[in-house]
Amino acid sequence: MLEGAEFYFNVDHGYLEGLVRGCKASLLTQQDYINLVQCETLEDVKIHLQTTDYGNFLANQTNPLTVSKIDTEMRKKLCREFEYFRNHSLEPLSTFFTYMTCSYMIDNVILLMNGALQKKPVKEILVKCHPLGRFTEMEAVNIAETPSDLFKAVLVETPLAPFFQDCMSENTFDELNIELLRNKLYKSYLEAFYKFCKNHGDVTGEIMCPILEFEADRRAFIITLNSFGTELSKEDRETLYPTCGKLYPEGLRLLAQAEDFDQMRRVADHYGVYKPLFEAVGDGSGGKTLEDVFYEREVQMNVLAFNRQFHYGVFYAYTKLKEQEMRNIVWIAECISQRHRTKINSYIPIL
Amino acid sequence: MGSLFRSETMCLAQLFLQSGTAYECLSALGEKGLVQFRDLNQNVSSFQRKFVGEVKRCEELERILAYLVQEINRADIPLPEGETSPPAPPLKQVLEMQEQLQKLEVELREVTKNKEKLRKNLLELIEYTHMLRVTKTFVKRNVEFEPTYEEFPPLENDSLLDYSCMQRLGAKLGFVSGLINQGKVEAFEKMLWRVCKGYTIVTYAELDEPLEDPETGEVIKWYVFLISFWGEQIGHKVKKICDCYHCHVYPYPNTAEERKEIQEGLNTRIQDLYTVLHKTEDYLRQVLCKAAESVYSHVIQVKKMKAIYHMLNMCSFDVTNKCLIAEVWCPEADLHDLRRALQEGSRESGATIPSFMNTIPTKETPPTLIRTNKFTEGFQNIVDAYGVGSYREVNPALFTIVTFPFLFAVMFGDFGHGFVMFLFALLLVLNENHPRLNQSQEILRMFFNGRYILLLMGLFSVYTGLIYNDCFSKSVNLFGSGWNVSAMYSSGHAPAERGKMVLWNDTIVRRSRVLQLDPSVPGVFQGPYPLGIDPIWNLATNRLTFLNSFKMKMSVILGIIHMTFGVILGIFNHLHFRKKFNIYLVSVPELLFMLCIFGYLIFMIVYKWLVYSAETSRVAPSILIEFINMFLFPASETNGLYSGQEHVQRLLLAVTVLSVPVLFLGKPLFLLWLHNGRSCFGVSRSGYTLIRKESEEEVSLLGNQDIEEGNNQMEDGCREMTCEEFNFGEILMTQVIHSIEYCLGCISNTASYLRLWALSLAHAQLSDVLWTMLVRVGLRVDTTYGVLLLLPVIALFAVLTIFILLIMEGLSAFLHAIRLHWVEFQNKFYVGAGTKFVPFSFRLLSSKFSDDMA
Repeated sequence: MLEGAEFYFNVDHGYLEGLVRGCKASLLTQQDYINLVQCETLEDVKIHLQTTDYGNFLANQTNPLTVSKIDTEMRKKLCREFEYFRNHSLEPLSTFFTYMTCSYMIDNVILLMNGALQKKPVKEILVKCHPLGRFTEMEAVNIAETPSDLFKAVLVETPLAPFFQDCMSENTFDELNIELLRNKLYKSYLEAFYKFCKNHGDVTGEIMCPILEFEADRRAFIITLNSFGTELSKEDRETLYPTCGKLYPEGLRLLAQAEDFDQMRRVADHYGVYKPLFEAVGDGSGGKTLEDVFYEREVQMNVLAFNRQFHYGVFYAYTKLKEQEMRNIVWIAECISQRHRTKINSYIPIL
Repeated sequence: MGSLFRSETMCLAQLFLQSGTAYECLSALGEKGLVQFRDLNQNVSSFQRKFVGEVKRCEELERILAYLVQEINRADIPLPEGETSPPAPPLKQVLEMQEQLQKLEVELREVTKNKEKLRKNLLELIEYTHMLRVTKTFVKRNVEFEPTYEEFPPLENDSLLDYSCMQRLGAKLGFVSGLINQGKVEAFEKMLWRVCKGYTIVTYAELDEPLEDPETGEVIKWYVFLISFWGEQIGHKVKKICDCYHCHVYPYPNTAEERKEIQEGLNTRIQDLYTVLHKTEDYLRQVLCKAAESVYSHVIQVKKMKAIYHMLNMCSFDVTNKCLIAEVWCPEADLHDLRRALQEGSRESGATIPSFMNTIPTKETPPTLIRTNKFTEGFQNIVDAYGVGSYREVNPALFTIVTFPFLFAVMFGDFGHGFVMFLFALLLVLNENHPRLNQSQEILRMFFNGRYILLLMGLFSVYTGLIYNDCFSKSVNLFGSGWNVSAMYSSGHAPAERGKMVLWNDTIVRRSRVLQLDPSVPGVFQGPYPLGIDPIWNLATNRLTFLNSFKMKMSVILGIIHMTFGVILGIFNHLHFRKKFNIYLVSVPELLFMLCIFGYLIFMIVYKWLVYSAETSRVAPSILIEFINMFLFPASETNGLYSGQEHVQRLLLAVTVLSVPVLFLGKPLFLLWLHNGRSCFGVSRSGYTLIRKESEEEVSLLGNQDIEEGNNQMEDGCREMTCEEFNFGEILMTQVIHSIEYCLGCISNTASYLRLWALSLAHAQLSDVLWTMLVRVGLRVDTTYGVLLLLPVIALFAVLTIFILLIMEGLSAFLHAIRLHWVEFQNKFYVGAGTKFVPFSFRLLSSKFSDDMA
């Protein structure tokens, strides 16, 4: 796009941006969370959510109410909004939306393959799939036995196809393979998305690149953390790291050599962005987990995305914030339904 | 004047409701709609309130009812709406009702589920028959065009493996057949090709008639396909792919006999299903019909019940938990009814201890209640749209009833147009009980609600039209004109007088294009026309000049009278709120300021009208110049209107100038003096301080009660106390701003009233244009064709008259009249900072259930 996108942005995407900003205003406030935390039963949660923008989205649910019902309905609502955005979008925003759905599609494919591996019926797994990552070919995933099979037979026509270039192999699937496949797919997905945003330039690039860089680095940290004590070799591990983050290249090399959490922390200490995050992590007994810290940082970045105008990042940020909100509600609802109130306050507040 | 002049006196009452009878009491109150509840649990969130369980139950009932209504609507069964609204159900019946409804819901859900299942079954069978029919042709083709089928084996370089061989080899050759959604065919085929690498043959044909999708109920086009494949493994994959694309797969018969058998079986089953389905549908209809009878009353009852529980949620419990305490605002006049309603409620529930009430003094401002009837409602709405009146403030609606239509009519002065408007409004008024009008929507509804305003507007327009002597822009000569043209001819006058006068003779009449009647010639002007403008002006070329002068002066006079009236109403407010000092320090200076300038202007206008006649008109001074001179003190003397004019004007100006500082500083200084030394004089005690004393007593009284009732209200009491702080700077600022606004406003508002003139001029000119452009053209045409032409011309004239002159012009005059009331009139006295009294009344619940539930 030309320099000075603000001149042309509203012609194509002004309506949707206005809409998404309106939607953002409907996110639950701090006061809502305080009220939600006080709820005694799921019915109370339902009554309280009725007073927010969720409206009576649970009205047609028959009793008894469960957490999963709330979750499904919330997802459906998000999905409806997203579909509306997507159906009204023009290029290149629609490509951007496609990129956004890809991560959910990868998760869904992996979920289905894991299900197939455990010989579970497809119908059962389908319910668990994220509605944003739904596509028709998805259900046929279990035909394939090797990654290249999967690519050639099922996914060649989906948006996921370009991400397969690195993971064509003839190994039959097992649990480790699937996990590797997921990470490789994710790596090429993130790199492609990053490239797309970078090429797009303008405010979109300025907003989205840091968010995606953070996402890439977070994955690198999480992969490292999860690989401790598994048979994954260090070389293999390094191939899984997305290379579009701030850690690339030295940080990733160091991470690949890390053997425990402390070494990982030392790597992070070299980076001004990640040092405070690792410092915020509590040790074992109490305090926040690394995951929570990352989530908080993500929320912060997404909220900041709304400070700029004329870019696509708001759509990404809104979806992520909404997801975080849903995670919070589910967390609170779980705590309430399991009568496990001590940890109810450890949701991630959305600023 | 009564209730429309001021809002009703309200009192705060506490209701002590025995917990057993609270529901019945509130039901009785709701039917009557007497009181407004105050929320005593403001800081309790909605799900922590006392009756949240009951509210939930009501919501559950509403959900069931919504489901019922939805099903009934889907089955196209008319929903009868009852005439009377049933009372809220007694508590004993609620359980029964709930049970009944739940049973109905379960039954209904089961029946509909069965129905859906049967329908789905039926659809599947129909699909199957279609598939069989279509695939038969595939097989035929296979048989007929053997060579094409045979193409495949040579590819594998095994010539022995022909069709018959394949069959002999056993289960190697398989078929999968079924239906697939039209949109998915392409992707389906592609994937089949990619997965099975060509080991399959797919044949498909479009189904000629669209079928319903059993899952979504959509009617779409389908394709029938037949896949032939080799090998078990591929078979599995094919099946999985079929699942993935949500194909409807049906077993494929291998032989012709089998096919025939299946087909016959299917046909009989379809027949059976049809009959069963019909029976089920009949039964469903029966159930729904039965439900439809009572659903209306149930919906109303549940709504009422929910409303009652919402109100109960606003009450607080007393210490012993035995009774509920509600705080309500109630008009004092209705206290008796309130007591009776409470008694009724207690009696109904058969409680041993009756519920009772007592009034409590309060310092909070009560809500404003002005009782209206169908006539005054519209006018009150005009006022309320600006702002609901403060408690016990003078209500401008009473005067608006007359002034609003009148000011409108001044701008809309046309006898004919006014009469049409009057007739339209009369039609609405006479048919006001007609159900279609009552339920009309949007624009018609607007007209309907304002029917009495329209009626008066039409009536007043008829009056002003008579004054302006305008009827569709033409004048009507009812009483005979006061002017005599023949007197202008020289014959009748004495020779001595002739010299002074410009008289007409034949040559003048023939030559000049414009002739002037001279009223000073005896006999030409025989006296004023009995009512309004003389019709002869309709012919005069200087008609506009004459009317402009008249209308301009008229609008200034009307405006100043209107505004002065507003200031005087302010005095009533001050009297009522016992702030007498406001009269001397605010209202009187305001009046003096207004009257000394603009009152004097009116005086000059009237004086000039009365004193100068046609003979002396040439020496009459210009009012404009005189008025300007009043402020400028010019050096050169003009011959004024009357002797001593200069001194009178100086005096008036002095009064005006003096009243300004009083207006600016009087009230703040007085309040400051009161604040600093109110014990100095007895005078001050009688006014402001006495009220303060009284209120302090009340507050302390209130405080005592608060201690008994809990500390919730104590906070209220404290809040009230603090707001009495004295702040001189703030008072001064407010007063200065108010005074500046008033002084400037006097001038600008007077100018604003000139819109009366402007709009009436515009209206008259527009209707004149319409007449000359249309009807006059039509009338001028030759008699033979004229008749033919006149019909469309008149039709067009009527249409344009209604749309442009009546609706468009009427709307603009309406808006300007509203503005004159809101801004110019009401800002002289009306605060409009009250809150409306919203009683807890079942009548306010919408009695229609179709739009919000279906």
